Amino acid sequence: MSEEKIELEEEEYTSQLTMPVFKRILGLLKPHKMWVVGFFIAIAATSALDGVFTFINKNIIDQGIIPGDVERMHELAKIYGSFIIVQAVMVFGFVYLAGVLGERIQYDLRKLMFEHLQDLSLSFYSQTSVGRLMSRMTSDTGRVADLMTWGLLDVTWAVTNITTSVIFMAIINWRLALIVFAIIPVLVVVGIKFRQRILVEFRASRRANSKITGAYNENISGVRIVKALGREKENLHEFQGLTGEMYRSSYKAAWLSALFLPIVQIIAAVALGAIVWYGGIQSQTGLLTIGGIYAFVSYLTFMLWPIQDIARVYAEMQHSIASAERIFTLVDTPPDVHNLKGAVDAKTLLGEIEFDHVDFYYEERKPVLQDFTLKVQAGEMIALVGPTGGGKSTIVNLLCRFYEPKRGSVSINGKDYTNYTLESIHERIGIVLQTPHLFSGTIMDNIRYGNLTASEKEVLEASKLAGAHPFIETLSKGYAEKVGEGGDLLSTGQKQLISLARAVLSQPELFIMDEATSSVDTLTESLIQQGMEHLMRGRTSFVVAHRLSTIRRADRILVIEDGKISEMGSHTELLRERGHYYRLYTQQFRQDLGKKYGQDGLVPRTA
Amino acid sequence: MNKPFTFDFRNTISKNRLKGLWLMMVDYRLPYLGATLALAVSATSKTLTYLLLGYFADLVAGNAEPINGNLSRSFFWIALGFVGLSLFQGGFSFISGRLAAYTAEGIARRLRDFLFDHIQRLNFSYHGNTAVGDLIERVTSDVDAVRRFFSEQAIGVGRIVLIFFINFAALLNLNAELAWISVVVIPFMLLMSLWFFKRVTKRYEKYQEQGTILSTTLQENLTGVRVVKAFAKQEYEKTKFEGDNWEKFKRGRHLLLMHSLFWPLSDLILGAQMLFGFVYAATMTINGEITIGDYLTYVGLVAWLIWPIRNLGRLIVQTSTGLVSYGRLMDIVKEIREPLNDGKIEPDGDLRGDIVFENVSFAYPDEKANGTRVLTDISFNCKAGAAVALLGSTGSGKTSLVNLLPRFYDYTEGSIRMDGVELSDYSRKYMRAQTGIVEQEPFLFSRSIRENITYGVGRDVSDAEVEEAARAASVHTVVTEFPDGYGTLVGEKGVTLSGGQKQRIAIARTLLKNPHILILDDSTSSVDTETEAEIRTALNNLMQNRTTFIIAHRIQSVMVADLILVLDGGQIVQAGTHEELLEQEDGMYREIYEIQTRIDDELEKEIEGIA
Repeated sequence: MSEEKIELEEEEYTSQLTMPVFKRILGLLKPHKMWVVGFFIAIAATSALDGVFTFINKNIIDQGIIPGDVERMHELAKIYGSFIIVQAVMVFGFVYLAGVLGERIQYDLRKLMFEHLQDLSLSFYSQTSVGRLMSRMTSDTGRVADLMTWGLLDVTWAVTNITTSVIFMAIINWRLALIVFAIIPVLVVVGIKFRQRILVEFRASRRANSKITGAYNENISGVRIVKALGREKENLHEFQGLTGEMYRSSYKAAWLSALFLPIVQIIAAVALGAIVWYGGIQSQTGLLTIGGIYAFVSYLTFMLWPIQDIARVYAEMQHSIASAERIFTLVDTPPDVHNLKGAVDAKTLLGEIEFDHVDFYYEERKPVLQDFTLKVQAGEMIALVGPTGGGKSTIVNLLCRFYEPKRGSVSINGKDYTNYTLESIHERIGIVLQTPHLFSGTIMDNIRYGNLTASEKEVLEASKLAGAHPFIETLSKGYAEKVGEGGDLLSTGQKQLISLARAVLSQPELFIMDEATSSVDTLTESLIQQGMEHLMRGRTSFVVAHRLSTIRRADRILVIEDGKISEMGSHTELLRERGHYYRLYTQQFRQDLGKKYGQDGLVPRTA
Repeated sequence: MNKPFTFDFRNTISKNRLKGLWLMMVDYRLPYLGATLALAVSATSKTLTYLLLGYFADLVAGNAEPINGNLSRSFFWIALGFVGLSLFQGGFSFISGRLAAYTAEGIARRLRDFLFDHIQRLNFSYHGNTAVGDLIERVTSDVDAVRRFFSEQAIGVGRIVLIFFINFAALLNLNAELAWISVVVIPFMLLMSLWFFKRVTKRYEKYQEQGTILSTTLQENLTGVRVVKAFAKQEYEKTKFEGDNWEKFKRGRHLLLMHSLFWPLSDLILGAQMLFGFVYAATMTINGEITIGDYLTYVGLVAWLIWPIRNLGRLIVQTSTGLVSYGRLMDIVKEIREPLNDGKIEPDGDLRGDIVFENVSFAYPDEKANGTRVLTDISFNCKAGAAVALLGSTGSGKTSLVNLLPRFYDYTEGSIRMDGVELSDYSRKYMRAQTGIVEQEPFLFSRSIRENITYGVGRDVSDAEVEEAARAASVHTVVTEFPDGYGTLVGEKGVTLSGGQKQRIAIARTLLKNPHILILDDSTSSVDTETEAEIRTALNNLMQNRTTFIIAHRIQSVMVADLILVLDGGQIVQAGTHEELLEQEDGMYREIYEIQTRIDDELEKEIEGIA
């Protein structure tokens, strides 16, 4: 699923704020207490000063202009001016502190999650898509950080602003202040309801947008078939249905948003009208001054903004809390495979490896391996063959202790391998995957991944042993050549050679290889074969084999079908039996040679 | 509710990008003008509120005459005036927002519709040379940028400018001297905010860039979790991630520093300007040059005029993204479409399928191909209902040859006659309706299996018919085993089909379409023996009574063909039936045949050697 779709789906979840989650969210701020205190003070001061400015203006009118006291007016203007400077400093403070704090919280959360992810077992990864994890690390962290900084800031600002305004209004005239006080809850409730309504439409439009992207994607990728089947008209018609849907929801979201402020404003205007009328009459009795009227009008018209902020933060908060909960769930997931108490480092993996009556399943009631038993001697080369889904990869996964048996045990040198630490096992394993995984960076970086402390000379040696050296030499930058994201700039065969070199460099005691099924050109193929041969010397190795040459060389061949060993023996033994292996082999033989001769025979000769 | 598809964005191509955007506004100019006018009304109402406040203050201070001499009556009317003006202001601001949204969403909608249709009508060479990702990026993000240009940026700039002029006019009316000294700082503020937002955009891009790097690191770590674990490199990965993570934090801080300097600085400048105006106006009031009511009006107007200016820079900088996006969209729009109905003759019925190639040559039309021929001098005859097999290595021209039949590409020399008529005299639409293609790795849509089978058939199909086609394509049993049978979705949200299954669904689809010319891209080599037999049965059913072209790599697939063409380097090197070609001793066909039979011998030998 695309990340966008995952994000959309997750946006559907909202959560109410509960005490434990609230405490944990606050806990995120703990290491940065001083920053939080700083930005609270800065924003509260900024907001309060806004109220003060209006109050000073009122006094300029009442104490300066009306009595004609120029000196008092100048005095007040000076105070006003110095407060402008104070406020500017405060604005600097809260923008910087809140902004940096937001970035810092995101950084902290990413670090926390990433480090936990490194410890989680493969079982977790097989249940959780990479897209989901990415969305956890990007949009969820962003949303939580936003709530903790700008959200908190907006609310603090809004609450301080309203409070200051109300206090000043009460000082000026408490009866009129009561009118304002009465409408604030109305405004807040209306505002929040309205915001939530807008959010619903907004999300509908995002959903429609995702469908539109999907339709574009499909129609462009499948344009050949669209044209061949002459389906342009129907497709356009269907697409117009989607754009119509998008149009309706986004248009509605847009005009609802345009309605929001006017509505809050009009409610406020009614209160304003009441104040003007009542205040005008009161002014005749000397209870309200012109400056006082000015102040009331200013406070009330400005009140739209804090109300809007409170409504927005409240509407969005529930999604941010859902994000926080998802993050906490991830961080709380315990790794399935972990070091037992008192686990010791394995001294060596070279020894007898035994699968003893092992049962295994990924999902309950769907057994993959059943009563699997196997003894392997040090230095043996085992080839695993058989149909897809038979359990070959599972055996490898258990061997690497990416998973542990559900029943039975795997032991190394007679000792159950769960008694050893994971690190000591993994350090001694070398693995080459079917679709080799490289990291973006240079070829040198990628080979060195096998042993970070290796010198350049050692890398070159490993590369030569693995048969990767010749092709790397032909690249314009040699070992400094970048491999692209995930190794995209290289062919599968080249990636495999590099991952072989990486495995050679790590000097493993147990070597595991999952051969690629996709075709690799003949030259690369033979290089890979040579590389493997070097690697296997003096090591125990397991190969999920697709190539005849590999299979033939194995000390023992295991035919794995339906989670069991259906045949076992050397190449000649098994061929003689004329059973499963015989059929698999002959089919593979035909295909292999067919490809080989097919290629050789069809090479254009006209050139 | 679907509006008929009418607007042609090819008319909006213009070198001047602003003019191009203006041309896009056809049909929406009036609403957009309405949005602007409504904005002006709304802004004027607010200005009037301050004037009313001034009158109110003057009334209280005794500088103005009450209405009909009744003071409390006047207060009532003024109160009502505030409510009324607010209704006007809010109402028109809503109307303006709604009309702007109507324009922006409407233009975006028809732009999306147009692009969708336009892209599916561009020719094959365009699609062959354009990355899907890039196209998608343009039709989504760039369309959105154009939408925002209309909904936020253009109207936003208009709003600030309108507010400025309306209030400035009101100020001038109040007191010219006061008005001029109140806007001294504005040009500087505008320049400063332009400078700032340009800088911020750059820093923001850097910040985003690091975000992409971080995502890549993360994605590689997550997809390579087995490698990380197998090499026990968790600590190394943590350090690496930490580096990228910290860099992102640093760039974020760098970006924020700009913001935390700009906002207080602009507060300071504008605040000082306002205070200066206040003091000046207060002095004038004390000196009796203006009334206390004027002072109140002034204080309200000047605040409203000054603060929006600092956002003007942001909006102007952002409009440039709208302009860039316009250009990127026009790159697609200006591409020429493939005419579908350009045929000289339009037969009522179906083709019989007699095909004659005469000295046909073909070169890809795009610049990169440089006129290099991929097919040279191809000549052969084929009777209706016959099977023609094309044998040759990758790049020998097999696919290029069959692509000429449904007019995916037009041949550059020679002539192809279809039932005696020149192929280019038939419309593309007709030829495509008459041709069925089963590709090596067929593309299925993420719809139900039933929809995939009936895709492009162009008529209502009964369930019985779908099932019959599926049976003939040997895929019925497989489908019934799926949870929702024919309603099962294909792809992400549904089932993942194997190559062989996809191919048989494509065969069922082609059976329903019932074309008279059939193109089979033979791929049986990539599926296992059992599936191969099933596909072969399905294909045999399909081939009956149709002129069939088979693209093949193996002798077994071509043996039965009525005519085998051996292609090499875009030329026919041998032609004939299986038997005829075998007789040509030093021919390529015989060589391939021998190699392939040799395989079986070798296998036998190895097994005998062991036994």
